[in-house]
Order: sequence, then C-alpha cells, then structure tokens
Amino acid sequence: MTLLEAAAALRRREISSAELTAAALQRIERLNPSTNAMQTVMADAAREQAKQADEELARGEDRGPLHGIPVAVKDLFSTKGVRTTGGSSLFADHVPDHDAAVVESLCAGGAVLVGKTGMHELAYGITSSNPHFGAIRNPWDRDRIPGGSSGGSAAAVAAGMVSMAMGSDTGGSIRIPASFCGVVGLKPTYGRVSRYGTMPLGFSLDHMGPLTRSVRDAGAVLNIIAGYDPRDDTSSRRPVENYVPDIEPTIRGLRIGLPENFYFERLDPDVDAAVRAAFHAAESHGAEIVPLRVPDIAALNTVARVILLAEASALLEPHLEQRDRFGPDVLALLDQGRLLPATDYINAQRLRRAMQRQFADLWSRVDCLFTPTTPITAPRIGETATTIGGQSQDVRLATTRLVRAINALGLPAVSVPCGADRRGLPIGLQIVGQPFAEALILRVAQALVPAEVPVPRL
Amino acid sequence: MSTDWKKDWKKIARANGLAIPDAALERIAQSLDTLEADFRPLMRALPPETEPALAFRAELSHDRKGVEDLA
Repeated sequence: MTLLEAAAALRRREISSAELTAAALQRIERLNPSTNAMQTVMADAAREQAKQADEELARGEDRGPLHGIPVAVKDLFSTKGVRTTGGSSLFADHVPDHDAAVVESLCAGGAVLVGKTGMHELAYGITSSNPHFGAIRNPWDRDRIPGGSSGGSAAAVAAGMVSMAMGSDTGGSIRIPASFCGVVGLKPTYGRVSRYGTMPLGFSLDHMGPLTRSVRDAGAVLNIIAGYDPRDDTSSRRPVENYVPDIEPTIRGLRIGLPENFYFERLDPDVDAAVRAAFHAAESHGAEIVPLRVPDIAALNTVARVILLAEASALLEPHLEQRDRFGPDVLALLDQGRLLPATDYINAQRLRRAMQRQFADLWSRVDCLFTPTTPITAPRIGETATTIGGQSQDVRLATTRLVRAINALGLPAVSVPCGADRRGLPIGLQIVGQPFAEALILRVAQALVPAEVPVPRL
Repeated sequence: MSTDWKKDWKKIARANGLAIPDAALERIAQSLDTLEADFRPLMRALPPETEPALAFRAELSHDRKGVEDLA
C-alpha cells in the first residue's frame, strides 16, 4: 500500500494508525534480521504517536496526508532523545537534543516515526556494507547491496516496512539505492529542503529527499518538507508548489532530452534497453524527444569529487587521529581529501560555477533529461569491481558516474524504476530538471511509472 | 589525459604533518594521481574572472530574515 492509499484508508476509517503502525512494526520484526534495513526501531514511541494520531483524526483534527502514517528517517537526521549515529562508531552513543528540520516537519504533519534506517558509514559510500552496524541487504536479492548511502531507507521501503523513508544525497545517495531497490527516490533542488539538524558530509553538495513506493507519495512528502528555513544558510526563499502530480497527468508537448554523449556509454545492455524504452513510452504519451549533446559530465564529476573529498575531510579532520574508528573505504577517501591543496578546492568551486552556466543553456532546449540512474543493477555484497562491455570498472566510480554531477549542479532529479534486468533486478531511470522543477519531473515520472512500483515478494 | 609529473604524496603528507601510514598512502596514490590527471587540465581553461560557487554573506541568516521581513 502506498502512503497516499494508506492516508485515504485512514480517512475512510477502514484502518487506524495504530493498526498501520502495528503492521509496520511486525514487518520490521520479521524482515529486519535478513535485511538490516532498520538501525533503531522506536516501537513504543511509534505506538504512542499512532494512538495520538487516531484520537486527533477522530476529533476531526487532520494534519494532512502523513497524519498517522508510519515512516522512517536515515540515521543522520537528528532525532531528539533518540540515538543518531550517522552510521559511524564515532557517534554510536550520540543522542541529539533537537530534531532535524525534516523530522520537525514530518512530526508536525502527524507522521509516525517507527525508526531510523541504516546507512553507509558517514554517508560516504554506495554499498551500505557498514563495518560497525553490519551490511544492509537488498530485498530483491539479499546477497546484493541495496546501494547507498541511503541503503537502509531504500531497503525498508522496498521490503514494505514503511511506505516512506527519508534519505540524503551528496553524490547519488538517494538515487543509487532507489535504482538498486526499485523504488522512487527524489533529490530536490539544493536549498529546497532544509539541511538543519542533519549530519553533513559535503556542505555544498548535501541534499535531503524521500524514498517511496509511488511518485505521488514522493510529491506528498516534498509538500511537507520543502520550504525556507533560516537555520540553513543555503535554504531557498522561493515559494513552494503543490508537488503531487495528477493520477494521470499529461506530458504532451514536453521536450525530453536524450543525451547523445556520456550517459549511454558503458552501460549494462539491459539497462540501456530499459531506459531507451522509457523514451519510447514518453513519446507515446505525446512528449517530444530531443537528441542533444550535454556539457562535459566527466569533468563535472571530477570537480564534484574534488569538492566532496575536501569538504568531507575538513569536516571530519578532528576525528582523523582515531584511524581505527573508520572503515577502510571511508578512511581512504578521508586521507585523499587531506592531501588536496586548498587551491584545488577553490578552483573546483570556480569550475563548478563555469559549468553551471554551460548547463543552464540546455534548459532553453528541453524541459527535462532522461538518463540511466546507474549503469548496472545491484552488485553482490563485497564486489569491488564490475565488468561492463568487457571492461573492468571500480563499482563505486561506476555507480556514481551518472548521478554525481547532478549534485554539483544542485538540480532536482528523481530515480524511478523502469524495468528489470535478466536476473529480475530493478533498473532505474533518472529524470533531471532545471532548478526548482520538482513538480515537472514528478509529473513526467507519474506519467511513466505504475501507481505503485513493483516490489519483491517477501 | 596525463600530467608530465607526479606528486610525491608521502612527502606531501609528511610536510603537512599528517599521520597517514605509508601503506595507506600507497593504497590511495593511484586514485590521487588519476584525480590530478583529470583535474589539472580543467583549470587551464578557467577564465580568471570566474568566482567560486561559494557565497559569504556579511549578515547572519537570522539578521537577514529580520531585514527582509521588515521590507
């Protein structure tokens, strides 16, 4: 059941928040041992919140579509009085004294917070094989990674523990797990959703967004969490819109960019075929497909890597003498960041500005871009290299190759399932829009994606 | 694209007083060399007037909010 379906059932009195919450907790209890999606389960508090939601709804006090709905947040969103680890042993006992802005908004909207989802250590990686809290497993095939760093959020949604879990995305960390787990993952425009109260990784690259089982659910959550927050210095004052698309929206006449360079190079053939089929589907709905060359995405990826290496290492510098507190992959990245000169960081931010201008020209020709989210489907746990077209590639670099640049540009992007590979593993389509075009990309996604995405039978 | 010289990451680490073991430096050297080779040529085409995508504001955000609210 999707979030909005559950909300409708609540208002028809067919089900109560207490029943929805009990079902979520039961599913977590049954499936968490094999997926490790949830790091902290807040059963007692959730039952209390559900009871309160039922009482409020009975009194006619309706706080909106999330009222009484069980949800989860990645374990880097501060939760007052509840441990928030960031997937790190450094913060294993960290209990915040305040809620993140997103948590405040969800709670104000009446959502029932059932738990905190597991993640890649410090959100700095794509496997979610956490050395301190265990590997998170993909519900479609538990020998495979769910992607990351918001792996627990994607796995929890795909496994049906919750209909929505919040994630964060610094170099693809919402969209990659959405692709690997076959769910919807929305990275809004930089500044659209407050970062206040979240553990940062790359200050100028971090974005917060939902993972859901339907496109409309993602829009409903964005309606709740978007908006100006003076506590986040990068928060936008641009007015929010209604982000929930119609059930059967029209995309007739919209111009969809088909990149002729970069995005369709070095892809698994099943991924290539599924994403090209999405273009045909959009065309059959009346959209115009516009082949075009995109600016130098490889260069932008390099720029984004320099920025992230420097920002993450600057942030964690005070802890880097405790080398045994980090997993080897994260420590290697943090060491690299310490060796970059400050001039490289400044010049990367200058290149970013120049490339932002190049990319802006593209929006006069198209309304959105379609690309694959990831060039491969979910790799096996422990796999560090993958072979595409006979060439061996580093799994982390391959997996982030099609998503990382979008963070440097701060553009909104959504990953939606668009098929499955020969093994039945989900394939993700990335839809990218110009700044603050969340409503448009969600409308396009809704036109192409089933009302509820296919989920594994568990 | 490759550079015609390579940085000595061990010497850079020592010069900066970074306690990174040699074995760890050897493991990351190739990644850093590749990043250098990709990044360095990009800077050559950067116009000098291009400012970084960072913004410092002289007033704090809550001050700014007050001013904008009054406006």
